[in-house]
Amino acid sequence: MEWYHILAWVASVICFGIFFGHFIRLISFGLPKDKAKTQGKTSAGIRYAYINSMMPQHKESAYLHLPTYTAGIIYHLGTFLSLLLLIFSLINIWIGWKMPELLGWILGGCLLISTLCGLGVLIKRIVKQELRSFSNPDDYISNGLTTIFQAITALFIAFPHLPAIEIVYFIISVLFLVWFPLGKTRHILYFFFARLHLGYFYGRRGTWPEH
Amino acid sequence: MKPIDPVKREKALALLADTSDSKLRTHLNSCVRCGLCATSCMYYDTFHEAKYIPAVKVDIVASIYKRYNTFLGKHAPKLVNARPLNEETAEEMVDLLFGSCTMCGRCVTHCSIGVDISYLVHKGREMLAEMGMVPASLQSTVDAAVQTGNNMAIPVEEYTDTIEWMEEELQDEVEDENARIPLDESDRNVFYTLNPREPKFFPLSIKAMAKIFYAAQESWTLSSKYYDVTNYGYFNGNTAEATLIARNLHDEVLRLKGKRLILGECGHGSYANRWEGPNYLGHSYEFDMITAVELIKEYIDSGLIRLDKSLNSEPVTIHDPCNLIRNGGLFKTLRYVLHASCSSIIEMDPYGNDNHCCGGGGGQLAMSEYNERRLGIGKIKADQIRKSGAKIVITPCHNCVDQLLQLNHTYKLNVKIMTVAEIVANALIL
Repeated sequence: MEWYHILAWVASVICFGIFFGHFIRLISFGLPKDKAKTQGKTSAGIRYAYINSMMPQHKESAYLHLPTYTAGIIYHLGTFLSLLLLIFSLINIWIGWKMPELLGWILGGCLLISTLCGLGVLIKRIVKQELRSFSNPDDYISNGLTTIFQAITALFIAFPHLPAIEIVYFIISVLFLVWFPLGKTRHILYFFFARLHLGYFYGRRGTWPEH
Repeated sequence: MKPIDPVKREKALALLADTSDSKLRTHLNSCVRCGLCATSCMYYDTFHEAKYIPAVKVDIVASIYKRYNTFLGKHAPKLVNARPLNEETAEEMVDLLFGSCTMCGRCVTHCSIGVDISYLVHKGREMLAEMGMVPASLQSTVDAAVQTGNNMAIPVEEYTDTIEWMEEELQDEVEDENARIPLDESDRNVFYTLNPREPKFFPLSIKAMAKIFYAAQESWTLSSKYYDVTNYGYFNGNTAEATLIARNLHDEVLRLKGKRLILGECGHGSYANRWEGPNYLGHSYEFDMITAVELIKEYIDSGLIRLDKSLNSEPVTIHDPCNLIRNGGLFKTLRYVLHASCSSIIEMDPYGNDNHCCGGGGGQLAMSEYNERRLGIGKIKADQIRKSGAKIVITPCHNCVDQLLQLNHTYKLNVKIMTVAEIVANALIL
């Protein structure tokens, strides 16, 4: 086990530990203790919040901004894939399993596309004066770091035999893991709770599900 | 601007540390400032300024939260735009949270994450209320409700005179000397409430609802003291005042032993009583509480009233009050009642849960400081109405009626604005 492997493991434990702490805290706080009588079906509203209301045809933020929406979806899929591959890579330090070259190229290709999407989102933030006006360093760091993380993951998966890439991959991963629970990237957890609260709110009122 | 009292500031900050449930913490940490919410906000769509983007309104509250409650916010505030709660920030909050948001919630349903933006705007207003920074005109509306029992400070004599006058009008219309508008009667099935705009400016809408009660042979009453369905304490963010106003109405229903509290045609009043009232008081209400629209639907369903929709043959369109439809779940109920009362309904685009606010929500009608903005954003609704080609606009909210009347005048729409009770009363078969 090399020093960068140890660093990556430590960063992972800290990162996932913080997220776990956030998760436990949110669960312990619970849903609002609403005393008003329910009018609709809360559970159906919550289901609707996670599925139907996320469909692009239900959101102006999607159907009026299709290129950004599509890029965002691909970018987020790339982030989840990169995270899964990072967990795999950390475990694989001991297992030493060699990923088939073709699979590596396919996954790397997918991540290259998601990297470009992330880059597109970042460029949009830099170029659009309006968006820039209410952006802060966290927006650029989170977006930039996640994009770089995806790019280096793509390279590492596609070229696992190059030691230099492996070192850079684990160092970038450490930086990403440190920032992940601190920056706005932590919405990876809060997003799911936001949908829960929204479904609870509109479900109790009978606004959701819409028919 | 006068300096913020440090004790009040601490109280305002304590609101952001609330852990009674996970809702606040969740929404404060969810926004990614993608800016895609911009086009779902009437203020942004009208004025095209970045400050009106809903994410900016979220950010000003979240930035204060971060400054005092997160690791990076405490140790590297510039990295995450964590801002101290000082005079400058508070002044900006007043303009953004009171003066630039109707809390309609349209941006909430369109947010790519699902951030409850109006909830955070309300939380910001609560903070400002703690610091005594509610716009003077809005505060005076709340003060009137607290001191007199109704937000327009209508004296009891003036109110009872109006009710008596409307009772005579009702008797003339239905040609029955026994037709009544009961006041302060106990043990009635229905305890009905009004928006004070009705006795003050639109008394005929009281007569319209009384005619429906007459047709349904309902046992009902109004109170002469606490009849006000509105609760501007919800808008000014002062929970203590909102609680007091809600409690006055709640206690009056108990005093008169009303079996059902019927919330008059008022969007925010219905929201504040139906959905927030029990939370303000800390317990479920002992009596049933529904809106006038739901009650009319019950009358239609049970055959207590019969309607002839051909009596309303002019094309009508529906303005959906945000607090009754998107935030109140009454989309189908309202359509049911109006399709039973009108022969020609043309929907606006968009409508229902996706409607645009009239522009008067969020307490905007009470805040003369922002009149120009309010009428400016109302153009979106005015354009919708004009495009519909309807001759009548129906809405179950007196605040919306007020704003729509002003839009009618400002944008020369040449339409008639009516409440649901008025259009239903017009179609009654007696």
